Amino acid sequence: MTFSRRDFLRASALGTAATLFDGRNAARAQVQTFSGPMQQSAHSPVVLPPKAGAKPSMTSAQRDDLEHQIKCQCGCVLDVYTCRTTDFSCAVSPAMHADVMGLVDGGYDGAEILKAFLGVYGESVLMAPLRSGFNLLGYTVPFIALAGGSILVAALIPRWKRPATQTVHGGATPIDATREELDQLAAAVRAER
Amino acid sequence: MILVGELSLWVALLMAVWAATVSFAGGQMRRGDLIASGERAIYATFAMVVLASLGLWTALLTHDFSIKYVASFTSANLPKIYTITAFWGGQSGSLLFWALILAGMCSVALWTNRDRNRELMPYVSGTLALVLVFFLATICLGSNPFERLDWIPPDGRGMNPQLQNPGMAIHPPNLYFGYIATTIPFAFAIAALLTRRLDAEWLAAVRRWALLSWFFNTTGIILGMWWAYVELGWGGYWAWDPVENASLLPWLVNTAFLHSIMVQEKRGMLRKWNVTLVVSAFLLSIFGTFITRSGIISSVHSFAQSPVGKWFAGFLIVLIIATAYLVTTRLKDLRSHTELESMISREAAFLYNNLIFIGIAFSVLWGTMFPIISEAVRGNKITVGPPFFNTVNVPLGLLLLLLTGIGPLIAWRRASVANLRRQFAAPVGGAIAVGVIFFVLGLRNFAALLTYTFSALVLTTIAQEFYKGVGARRRMYDESAIVALPRLVARNRRRYGGYIVHLGIVVIFAAFAGLAFKREFDVNLRAGESKTVTDAWGHQWTFLSQGISRYRVLNREVTAIALDVTRDGKNAGVITSEKRQHVDSRGAPTFEPSTEVGIKGSFKQDVYVVLAGVRGTDAAEIRVTFNPLVRWVWLGGALMALGGLVVMWPQAERHRARAKSAVPARAPVHEQLPGLVRA
Repeated sequence: MTFSRRDFLRASALGTAATLFDGRNAARAQVQTFSGPMQQSAHSPVVLPPKAGAKPSMTSAQRDDLEHQIKCQCGCVLDVYTCRTTDFSCAVSPAMHADVMGLVDGGYDGAEILKAFLGVYGESVLMAPLRSGFNLLGYTVPFIALAGGSILVAALIPRWKRPATQTVHGGATPIDATREELDQLAAAVRAER
Repeated sequence: MILVGELSLWVALLMAVWAATVSFAGGQMRRGDLIASGERAIYATFAMVVLASLGLWTALLTHDFSIKYVASFTSANLPKIYTITAFWGGQSGSLLFWALILAGMCSVALWTNRDRNRELMPYVSGTLALVLVFFLATICLGSNPFERLDWIPPDGRGMNPQLQNPGMAIHPPNLYFGYIATTIPFAFAIAALLTRRLDAEWLAAVRRWALLSWFFNTTGIILGMWWAYVELGWGGYWAWDPVENASLLPWLVNTAFLHSIMVQEKRGMLRKWNVTLVVSAFLLSIFGTFITRSGIISSVHSFAQSPVGKWFAGFLIVLIIATAYLVTTRLKDLRSHTELESMISREAAFLYNNLIFIGIAFSVLWGTMFPIISEAVRGNKITVGPPFFNTVNVPLGLLLLLLTGIGPLIAWRRASVANLRRQFAAPVGGAIAVGVIFFVLGLRNFAALLTYTFSALVLTTIAQEFYKGVGARRRMYDESAIVALPRLVARNRRRYGGYIVHLGIVVIFAAFAGLAFKREFDVNLRAGESKTVTDAWGHQWTFLSQGISRYRVLNREVTAIALDVTRDGKNAGVITSEKRQHVDSRGAPTFEPSTEVGIKGSFKQDVYVVLAGVRGTDAAEIRVTFNPLVRWVWLGGALMALGGLVVMWPQAERHRARAKSAVPARAPVHEQLPGLVRA
């Protein structure tokens, strides 16, 4: 039984190996995502009518910054700006870029543009969660945990602390030195002072 | 050879099962013959895994496309070096590679402890063998690299072009070494917990392994950053990708451990904490592997939707339950021997430093898992990308940088006001001076300003420590500074190697802060057209297109653009960027096109050019990025690795051991009393 290279490549790329392997093998088929097929149809137009007397609402640099906040939907995990300026095989990020440009030209500001994208794609279109509602937990929990850890340590420390007279010296490194060396060291310390 | 390799894998699994069984039984029954048999079985397991690995390499190098792994990750025209590295280029091969390194490290750990830690060793071998059993069973039953196709394709699919890079040839093995080396300290911790021998014995046995893990993890992460920067073309070196985060987690915990271990060694404190850190580093290594191989989180690295994810999830759950049980039932045995004498002491500083390390680790873990948590709670898919991680981690990172400068200035046990005043004067003065200078020069980015201020604090601290150490040697031994400096480092490698690591950290932080001055430009050029842009330093850069060329070389079709570059009107050379379409031996495209970045670098900044696309025949879409201080990231990484090597270097210990056995001698008194010279 032989298969052409094209068949093999197609089978590998599209994950249709199930037709060639037995069921068990098919379940094990492995595809690395950065070599996997892009979701080129993932673009949904984000279009709003231009505002009356609309002028571009931001500079190109500001628009690029805005595009850094919007995630390309091709499956690459990059933002729109980075994807469209990196990967010429992606058709999604240029389309999303065109949508952003259309909204900028239509007079919409950054917040309005992000809101429009949110309306079409949902929250996963943003490179970072909105700072509201449940997401606030995401932003604050690390600091709460750190504060909690600090409070815990602060509460535990009095239990660890004892008057200096009760200090057990067994845990310290014993000083293996002659009297003469210790005197020499003390002289060096005094000299530094 | 291939068949021998395949069979060896199964024999290795049986050997590992035997090793685990008889090691634990031998430990319980105090039967020396069983213990010895268990250790020999681990050596035999290693031999079998070596045979299996040779079998897979044979299959790869002979292009045996009847083996699914070979057909999936190589092709007849793949350069030989990448045919060899394809061993760890895919799921099942990388698992076998993992088992190979793990079995090798287990053997080394057993061999180096053949006359030491004998009470612990049966349980150490038993634990190591259990981990081996897991990996070998996963390979044999879940992801076997010797699995055969029912047919023989004329050529393989080839290797992902982005993996065809020298960085990728060495970055994964480094990370694997780092991850896997956490297994040995974990096994010693489990053995210590099982036997309740929780004194300093097990800790001394694991320190070097923890360092080894830290060293490889560090170099692996830095190499991965370099690969991402030069190969992926998105213009940066760290994207807070889940798999990047997964590699950072054990590094953070290991680094915390390498600090807190000093507190236990010197003061007998933080015993529970240290056991927890050792166990956590291993669990996080497994967690990272689970993330990479389960496909539960969207990542550029993932082996998507792999069935071995379930194996790792199960293993992780068992490990968490078992270790939590062991630690909680041994809490009494883990009580500290001594007490904290003052909140202003070196040990307290290490405590704060550990708190920050673990805080950062938690925030990275939390951010990585938050999309899953959010989806579970709200049913909404969200993305947690760089803006989130930067918001949360930049303040924590700055706090850590500050502590890096403060910690070494405080004496052990209790620091007096006079001591603090004397120790802090120069570093605080240096930090304030640098902060003011940068502010006056116009730096208004608050995070960057704080970074440079704190960096100055750390640098002055390090310089002061070296200055005082050299001074002490010069006074005591009448040496010149040139002689005293290397001897100072050589005689106290842990301390001064650590300072070199701190120096590397400072350099990296300073480089990170340089990102505040990053500039990006979209440029569209036809042949003969030019575009002038301005970088953050105010220099005018002009890029003149020489046009687009297309040609075929090796296993790829190349589309390239060459740009004549001038800076402030002066010739700055030519930058070339490429898009590569890899093809198989018959010339058919194999993968999506990949980017070959054009970089013109200096210590000030990199001019980073990406050919993003071509419209028509000669209109090039280019992204030009001015990335400040990137070379300092690589330099900082090299310094960290160098510091790690200095700390790990065994000569000093051998020398000390010989000296101890020869005469009842000891190190010079000033070296036994770190901090006392200042006190």
